[in-house]
Amino acid sequence: MTRTELEPQPPANEETSPAAGGSPVERVRVILSRRTEGRAVALLMVVWVFTLLFEPLVWTSYEVTLGRIALVGLVALGLTAVILMGELDLAVASTLAVSGVIMASFDNLLLGVLAALATGLLVGAINAFFVVVVGINSFIATLGMLFFLRGAAFVLSGEQPVRIADVDAGIAFGQPVIGPLTPRMLIFIVAFVALYVFLSHIRVGREFYAVGGNRQAARDAGIPVTRRVFTGFMISGFISAMAGVINTLERTAADPTAGSTVLLASFAAAIIGGVLLNGGRGSVFGTLIGASALGMLQVALTLSGVQVDVQNIVIGGVLLLAVITDPASLRAAAVTARSLVQGRAVRQDTG
Amino acid sequence: MSPETAAATSARPPAARIEEELEVTAFKLSEWMASQGIFIFTAALVLFAVVFIDGFASLPNLTDVFNRAAPIGIVAAGMTFVVISGNYLDLSVVAQVATAAVVLIAVTNAVGLLPAIAFALLIALAYGIVNGIAVGVFKANAVIVTLSTTFIGLGLLRWLTGGSIYFGDSDGPIRTFGTTRIGPLPLSMILFVVVTIVLSLVLTRTNFGFMVRAYGSNREATRLAGVNTPLVVIGAFTMSALGAMLGGFVLAAFSNTAVSAMSDGYDFRALAAIIVGGTSVFGGRGSVMRTLLGVIFVSVLTNIMVLTGLGFGFQQMAIGLLIVLAVTVDALARKTRAS
Repeated sequence: MTRTELEPQPPANEETSPAAGGSPVERVRVILSRRTEGRAVALLMVVWVFTLLFEPLVWTSYEVTLGRIALVGLVALGLTAVILMGELDLAVASTLAVSGVIMASFDNLLLGVLAALATGLLVGAINAFFVVVVGINSFIATLGMLFFLRGAAFVLSGEQPVRIADVDAGIAFGQPVIGPLTPRMLIFIVAFVALYVFLSHIRVGREFYAVGGNRQAARDAGIPVTRRVFTGFMISGFISAMAGVINTLERTAADPTAGSTVLLASFAAAIIGGVLLNGGRGSVFGTLIGASALGMLQVALTLSGVQVDVQNIVIGGVLLLAVITDPASLRAAAVTARSLVQGRAVRQDTG
Repeated sequence: MSPETAAATSARPPAARIEEELEVTAFKLSEWMASQGIFIFTAALVLFAVVFIDGFASLPNLTDVFNRAAPIGIVAAGMTFVVISGNYLDLSVVAQVATAAVVLIAVTNAVGLLPAIAFALLIALAYGIVNGIAVGVFKANAVIVTLSTTFIGLGLLRWLTGGSIYFGDSDGPIRTFGTTRIGPLPLSMILFVVVTIVLSLVLTRTNFGFMVRAYGSNREATRLAGVNTPLVVIGAFTMSALGAMLGGFVLAAFSNTAVSAMSDGYDFRALAAIIVGGTSVFGGRGSVMRTLLGVIFVSVLTNIMVLTGLGFGFQQMAIGLLIVLAVTVDALARKTRAS
């Protein structure tokens, strides 16, 4: 294997990377070493084996499973766009809650949906403003937004679930339209395809990888970094708001406390899917696989009668495992371990 | 301003000079606000409350403010170490405070006070070590790590307790601690001040405190200087865990009850107090004494909102805004110092 093949260069898309030379086995190895979805595939395999052995109901009642995957995955897709640029959006869950409440407080369904989606875009723009114009760390800026919007959802709803005016439309929205697919799943599929095309085939989207990989280099190369960050946060806000609209329609009421589990699960899906928190690497495919694994896991746990509390322990555990098995994390830990073992030798080398 | 720069600015056309000076003034203002603002703001807010808010200056209300400020303050004092070490925050204090409170009441009822404290101490160390290893050794993002440990910890607590409420002995030592006060000052507030002084000394006078500050301002330089940086991070998260444990004890003693949901909102109240106090989220700059002021500010603000009938939703909005504002000032001040 030559050195050039080994270098993991973002963006790692198998379609575009020239798998040069070597035997077919070698070529597959090179492609695999460039992919970031390994951990998600491993988790999905484990979940598949366990569900086939112990809870085959996950497969037979696939409508439920698909619905859950769409629920976890939709917000995770938006997060992927933000994380690819090396930022975080902790406000997604609160955006979901507040846009649901806003939608339900309109009498006209269409107006409500539009207002909710506009809220999502606005929240994204505000987040991006603080991150890229003011220069605040995105964790802290979106954390402030998380609290602000959660409070806003409480205030707007009077701390009560808000029923939507057109309950029939909500009930109709929960019904399958094509085969077993409900509108929620269709929207998820459309969002996935759109984001996939955007991030891997459209110039603006491909530049997200550059912004995340090395912001200064991206700026020097003439990429309008500020505008890209705005686009990313607005995608995330828009998709969160859409998830809020879907939840509200399906439940025929907006829940101002919604979303804390969504926050955890969507982060877990994106991170286990191989989207590097420092930015520049990852794919929506990974997020889809991560969301599938987590969605199936949740359904399996629910069907086996496991309490929500224990489910939170499991998902929290998966997220913790996902962040510490990130390749960069493993490297850091290996460095620490090595310096512990041969601490004196290392110190003499550097000193 | 040095003579050279003064000469340079006077040579420019007047309009540009005024603009530049305005910009310099704005930056100086943010720098001043970030370093000194909290003293003025806290004084102004307290003065405002005393003059305009009916019932604020009454003895029962002040005792109430102190009773509510003390547990948050102790949590925030411990978490200050994490913030100064440049690791943003410890979200898992929500789980830690509730766990410590439930352990204190439940284990005291079942076995005794000392085993309860020992058990809570073990749990606090476990939190500190798990968070610290994930962040310090694996270099994982502190927000994500503590988000997951929050869910793991709260999930465990709710699963094991079934969400039930534990009531303390009606004349035990916990109850006595919670009800004793000296003038308007409850014992918990005095404990808070003592904790602040002790942690402040740890941060400013010990090797460990020095390393936390050094690591917060420049990780790579600290590592190259031969400091065992993973240990520093583990130490910072352990300080946060110990603060959360004491905060949980105080919270349990205040009401003599404990339930897994009692610490909702402690994460952002503590963070708001730390940042408003002037400790930088970029790490390296800050002090525990500033956190004390920040806690007073946040507690008085919350109290004003309660007295004027603004509910939990409005309080969350206000504190969310406060965090964003304080960090904005911090970011602007940082730009000033850099230029």
